Amino acid sequence: MEGILFPHAVPEGHEGLKEYRARGGYDALAKAIKGAPEEIVKIVSDAGLRGRGGAGFPTGKKWQFTREAAETPRYLVLNGGEDEPGSKKDRVLLENLPHLVVEGTILSAYAIGANKAYLYINARYDVAIKSITDALAEAKAAAYWGEKVLGSDFNLDIEIISAPHNYVAGEDTAVLEVIEGRKPWPRQKPPFPVTVGLFGKPTSVNNVETLANVAPILLKGAEWYRQFGTIESPGTMIFSLDDDVNRPGVYELPFGTPLRYLIEECGGGLKSGKPLKAIMPAAPSSAFLPPDKIDTPLDHNSMRDAGSALGCGVVKLISQGTCIVEEVLRIADFFTAESCGQCPACRMETNALSMMMKKVQSGQGGQPILEQFGKILAFNKGKGFCNLIAMPGPPIESALKLFAADFEAHLTTGKCPVN
Amino acid sequence: MAALQEKLAAKGLTDVEVKSYMCFGACQEGPNLVIYPEKNWYAHVKPEDLDEIVEHLAGGPHVKRLDTIDSSLKELIYQLLDTGVF
Repeated sequence: MEGILFPHAVPEGHEGLKEYRARGGYDALAKAIKGAPEEIVKIVSDAGLRGRGGAGFPTGKKWQFTREAAETPRYLVLNGGEDEPGSKKDRVLLENLPHLVVEGTILSAYAIGANKAYLYINARYDVAIKSITDALAEAKAAAYWGEKVLGSDFNLDIEIISAPHNYVAGEDTAVLEVIEGRKPWPRQKPPFPVTVGLFGKPTSVNNVETLANVAPILLKGAEWYRQFGTIESPGTMIFSLDDDVNRPGVYELPFGTPLRYLIEECGGGLKSGKPLKAIMPAAPSSAFLPPDKIDTPLDHNSMRDAGSALGCGVVKLISQGTCIVEEVLRIADFFTAESCGQCPACRMETNALSMMMKKVQSGQGGQPILEQFGKILAFNKGKGFCNLIAMPGPPIESALKLFAADFEAHLTTGKCPVN
Repeated sequence: MAALQEKLAAKGLTDVEVKSYMCFGACQEGPNLVIYPEKNWYAHVKPEDLDEIVEHLAGGPHVKRLDTIDSSLKELIYQLLDTGVF
């Protein structure tokens, strides 16, 4: 199908200004800059655009909150930290379609009334940073940003910020800390960035893919956009498949597409050739789903109803013959390593979960240790400055429920039933 | 820790082992001292509190003013200690 973001299948190579303009690039900006910023907010709200960073928060609403905040100046931050394991979507957009991202950024800054935008990009993405730097130079020469954008009264400065490559550095308020020159430690919320953000001023932090949707929406309209996807989740989303399938990569699909289509038609099925054992629709922080959920539609509500989450579209597949205890131990250790350590509750929880999983793996502790998982997670619910503390919960609790036999085998024999 | 060990040795308490542990989720109330398996938890411990704590370990009274940790956290950590997690 023809996507909203990807003009044909997955784009290859860096799309320059000439090619982008040949397919209507910057036409949305030329049109929108003549109108009121509120009109952009209205169209994006009518289109039902939701954030693609994981939470799915309505973008129009976030912008509205930022606009309504009393303080000025306001800031826009494009979040391309992308340190979710297995996620490749933002990198592909930044590397291959930089002008789509740049136009979305300019439009969004105009919409919220920001004269300064920061492009926060994963420091490891050398190609993406080069691609965006080149696109910014081309766009500035064409007066798409800088002083008096396209002859209007709107001035916009854009700056690239190199993002540290650790998981928590992609959290909205950690992003703000880095831009202000500090280490990536999330802030306590409230206040939220829309009211007290960068340098204490109202700030909208939006994911790369989210802002890449803005120019197509403004160019073709909310009604056109709503032809794709579902009522609650309009449009498309870019899903990332890792090398557990035959054709790893990124795939843009309308929300509501059955998960089976992504796995079988796009990914070409499991590389192992074995039957499916479990699905993690938003690895590593989502609940495991059993194979009979393979026809679940890929949208926020359907995934929630199925018992998991859509997140930012990193779908991990687990074959029969894989031990879930080993998978969960890897996940627990990941969150322990990635906890920034500033909140005692998070430090205690993630360390305890890792230690408990190691005990399970080596067959120590018996049934009583399994009972402690739920208690630790319940005790720490709602604590901590950011959501990391809640992330190990869904995979651990769903694994205990769905794959009790794997845990039992480790605890009774002290050995992995698979390896 | 060294000061505590010295005071324990001076008191002749050879059956008390002093160990450091990973975070118990109360670092904001530290230094913390958990007496296990007796299950007593002293918070905000200062060097000048050590004599009273050593007295407690030698059979003296519980140091009530240092017992300030939330009971639900204490319960959780004691359970984890009981199950051998830490």
